[in-house]
Amino acid sequence: MTLCGAIGPRISVTSASFGGTLLSVQLNHAQRELTVKIVYYGPGLSGKTTNLQMIHQRTQPDVRGRLLTVETHDDRTLFFDLLPVFFSTASGFKVKVKLFTVPGQVIHNATRRIVLQGADAVAFIADSRRSAGAENNSYWKNLNENMRENGLDPGQVPIVIQFNKRDLPDTRSDAELDEARKKGKEPIVGAIAIRGVGVLETLFAVLQSAYRSIEARAGLAKNVGLTEREFLTQVFKNIDTSGTELERLFPPKVKTP
Amino acid sequence: MRQGESVLQRRISLTELLDVESFTEVVKGFVDLYKVGIKVFDEKGGKLADIKVGNGDFCGYVFSFPEGRRRCTATVGRVKDGPVALSHGARLPVLEVSDVPKAKGVVTVPCFTGLRYLILPIHWEGDSLGRVVFGPFFPDDLGDFPPASLKEISEGFDVANARRFVEKVRRAPEGTIARVLLHFSQLLQTLLFAGQKMFLTSQLHIEATLEQNRELEERNKKLEEVNTKLKELDRLKSAFLATVSHELRTPLTSIIGYSEMLTEGLAGPLNGEQVDYVRTIMEKGETLLKLITSILDISQIEAGRVRLTFEPMDPFDLVNSSVSSLRPQAQKKGVVLEARLPARPFQATGDRDRLRQVVTNLLTNAVKFTPKGGTVRVVLSDLAHQPDLNAQGYRIIVEDSGVGIPADQFDKIFQSFYQVDSSSTREFGGAGIGLAIVKSFVEGHGGVVRVASEVNRGSRFSVILPAIPSMQAQVSIAPPVTGTEAPADDRF
Ligand SMILES: Nc1nc2c(ncn2[C@@H]2O[C@H](COP(=O)(O)OP(=O)(O)O)[C@@H](O)[C@H]2O)c(=O)[nH]1
Ligand SMILES: [Mg+2]
Repeated sequence: MTLCGAIGPRISVTSASFGGTLLSVQLNHAQRELTVKIVYYGPGLSGKTTNLQMIHQRTQPDVRGRLLTVETHDDRTLFFDLLPVFFSTASGFKVKVKLFTVPGQVIHNATRRIVLQGADAVAFIADSRRSAGAENNSYWKNLNENMRENGLDPGQVPIVIQFNKRDLPDTRSDAELDEARKKGKEPIVGAIAIRGVGVLETLFAVLQSAYRSIEARAGLAKNVGLTEREFLTQVFKNIDTSGTELERLFPPKVKTP
Repeated sequence: MRQGESVLQRRISLTELLDVESFTEVVKGFVDLYKVGIKVFDEKGGKLADIKVGNGDFCGYVFSFPEGRRRCTATVGRVKDGPVALSHGARLPVLEVSDVPKAKGVVTVPCFTGLRYLILPIHWEGDSLGRVVFGPFFPDDLGDFPPASLKEISEGFDVANARRFVEKVRRAPEGTIARVLLHFSQLLQTLLFAGQKMFLTSQLHIEATLEQNRELEERNKKLEEVNTKLKELDRLKSAFLATVSHELRTPLTSIIGYSEMLTEGLAGPLNGEQVDYVRTIMEKGETLLKLITSILDISQIEAGRVRLTFEPMDPFDLVNSSVSSLRPQAQKKGVVLEARLPARPFQATGDRDRLRQVVTNLLTNAVKFTPKGGTVRVVLSDLAHQPDLNAQGYRIIVEDSGVGIPADQFDKIFQSFYQVDSSSTREFGGAGIGLAIVKSFVEGHGGVVRVASEVNRGSRFSVILPAIPSMQAQVSIAPPVTGTEAPADDRF
């Protein structure tokens, strides 16, 4: 998270209240701005880019940027994707939500680590097929290692797990997803990203946990007047939620084509 | 991350997003086409492009009057640094209805000369990165020209001159210029998107490369440290072994050599008893020398420095050559040495030299512990399935009619430096290293050693070897390396 301003030096406030973890919050109220960074992590081809494409498609153009896909020079292996979503709060605070994906290829670990820097929350996109279990585990481990390398405490950065590709044969059953839920504290969302199923639900869960984590560190409600409800509403009121579980919570204004 | 902040973590400025030189070319082309001047500023007021068209003579004329210069500077300052908002003299532009939603943020700033400017903020991902200034242009809806605010700047202001100069300024409805501005804005967004992509790609490429180098250097450093430590240990061990070997062997060879000279009478004749004593010194010296050699062997094994080399070999050869090397000793002692080989020869894989040492050690023991007139027999089996190994293999059996080993000692005899009882050392010599070496080498092949014995009747050692040892067996000769892998914390 970055709270920053254009004028004056940025003041680095370091909070050591989380068992010695270094959580650096850059705060400057002059510009009244908050940047929330969400990283979509996971093995190659698990559906990270597809998630961003679906969010891009369903979000009003005036609150989002274009979906940026940055490639390596040989233009074949993807570096990462970036989708910015922005809004201003009722009290005039500017909020930018930056959604990143990391490259899945093993050789791009350095890039993965750079993209992961300063993440406020992570959406771990797993392939639900049973045959993909080992691959998922290895990227899960890689995520934890890279967090530690980046000075993030894996226990402090909220993670939401998406079990994607549930339309394919050999996919894990609902019972198996429940099993997976019992194995850890991370929320788990089933998804078929190519059909848009579970994509917004995952975004909701990851934004909610990001807000809560930032709130615990920086007191957004008290200091900035930004409540969890406003934060989520500002994002989802501009997203076409029709046909998703969020439809009742955030009724779609207009359907995007 | 040990490096500085990533480019992904900070705001990118307009100059980073646009290549100024090629951007200027684009702006020039645009200005040529639409005949309206364009200025582009970043958010700090830095100028990225400034292409004028048509207004030079007119503005120059106005500028030549001190009051004209004052008012002109104020207008330019307003346009460049004032807020892009409906204040400080700015108002909403006159637009065609269809353009209204697209023109969010655009403001009109009138000039005291009657000309006008349009200003467009450059928004990028919710940030304001700067502004585009269009103009000045001559608005179609302007009534009188020149307006009072221009005429009044000087007594000497020449209206006809001003009219002549202003002819060269683009004349159009404000809505038309606004539309051109919106067109430019679209182009600019495309350029910014392309620019952002290029900029991030190249920056990230650099960052990733630096990060990779950092990672490699760190890893190399760690490896080097471990390597240095291992080398140091290795050096110490080698030095120790070399010292032991040298310091013990040198005086021993002297002891043996001088004893030999004494027995040969080189220092004067000895009586029979004296010769016996000196011979004993000599023999014990030789025993000690062999012992030192096998201690060196076992230390090598225990240090994990012995690597077996598996290659095709002939077990017949193995048995025959071991038997021939022991024959003189057996004859000297009056022990019968027999070898029994199967009818058909066969091939196997193994470390030829180490296996020869195995058979030789067993035969040495057998001969040593068998009294005069006894028999030592070595039997090589056929190639067959070995239930002990659950694999195809063969056996080499060494039997003797010697003193035998009590059953409760079977396990211990394979430990280094173990002797059945201390009296056997005194009587037969040796330090019980031979069998430890045998066991290591055989197990290194994935084989097993068995012993059967009856006290005072004799012993039988069976070496069971696989025809083709697995590679895994080979590594087991080194003592297991300590250090455990962290258990995988699987989440999926
Ligand atoms: N069957 C199926 N295919 C999917 C799903 N989500 C993504 N894909 C496909 O999986 C491939 C890889 O997806 P992509 O988003 O590029 O993966 P990334 O490497 O994680 O960014 C693409 O061909 C997608 O169309 C899904 O839910 N079901
Ligand atoms: Mg991708």
